Amino acid sequence: MRLVRYTYPFRTLSNAQNEGTRSPWSGLESEIDRLFDTAMTDVGGSSPATRHFPIDLYEDKDSTYVRAELPGVSREDINVEMVDGYLTISASRKTTAVEGGDGERGFSFSRSVAINEAVQSDKVSAAYENGVLTVTLPKQEEVKAKKISVTVK
Amino acid sequence: MSLLSTFAPSLSRQAARPDRPADLGNTVKPRYEIKDTSDAFGITVYLPGVNKDGVDLTTEEGQVRILGRRAWRQPEGWTSLYRESADAAFELVLNHDNAIDVDKVAAELRDGVLRVSLPKHEAIKPRKIAVS
Repeated sequence: MRLVRYTYPFRTLSNAQNEGTRSPWSGLESEIDRLFDTAMTDVGGSSPATRHFPIDLYEDKDSTYVRAELPGVSREDINVEMVDGYLTISASRKTTAVEGGDGERGFSFSRSVAINEAVQSDKVSAAYENGVLTVTLPKQEEVKAKKISVTVK
Repeated sequence: MSLLSTFAPSLSRQAARPDRPADLGNTVKPRYEIKDTSDAFGITVYLPGVNKDGVDLTTEEGQVRILGRRAWRQPEGWTSLYRESADAAFELVLNHDNAIDVDKVAAELRDGVLRVSLPKHEAIKPRKIAVS
């Protein structure tokens, strides 16, 4: 699977922009935003917001951590797999009956990350809290203390 | 246009709000959905990494303001290798035409999803008028 960088759907990193809803240009601005969004959607084939989710990678002495933002996904629907140095996080759900418009919509996300470090595959653990999944990948012992003494002839 | 404003912030000519928390810094607009039923508006806002204490929901004249601060901070000793998410708080401001019964607004946060129900005012609900 190709990795495509996630971008926040409505990224506005300026304070003023968030206040801008009352500006005389607000109508034009939102129209242009909508136009861009539609154009970008066409390029991607599907809306990036519904297919992707942002991933962060961290590490400390003992482990590598992968944090994925998956708001509103129940624990049973999340699937974490570690195969051949690739960590795959996927989540899927079928649409439940939409009676009166209050059913839950289906979705299917999947992302893979290459983990370069040697990982103790049997000790991989995952926790889900506040809509963020944290996968802990403990590094292998020999990787942790990697000190090779080379004798110079 | 938000792209343009990012390059040239002076284009947005709005003064900073006096009641805005000073430590808020830059914010990200979260992904959200609005549903309109006959007696309420339902807003679903995706706020990953935000817990109950981090959410601020304020309603004022013609405006609903949702603020979500992330509960998680990068622990000491963790180095980030690759980042896609932002540490910035989420902020969403929605304008409405005062057709909402502000006293009956209800909100629920579960697994990083905030669901807000904004009941419509009695006065604007569709009414059937009998013809005599």
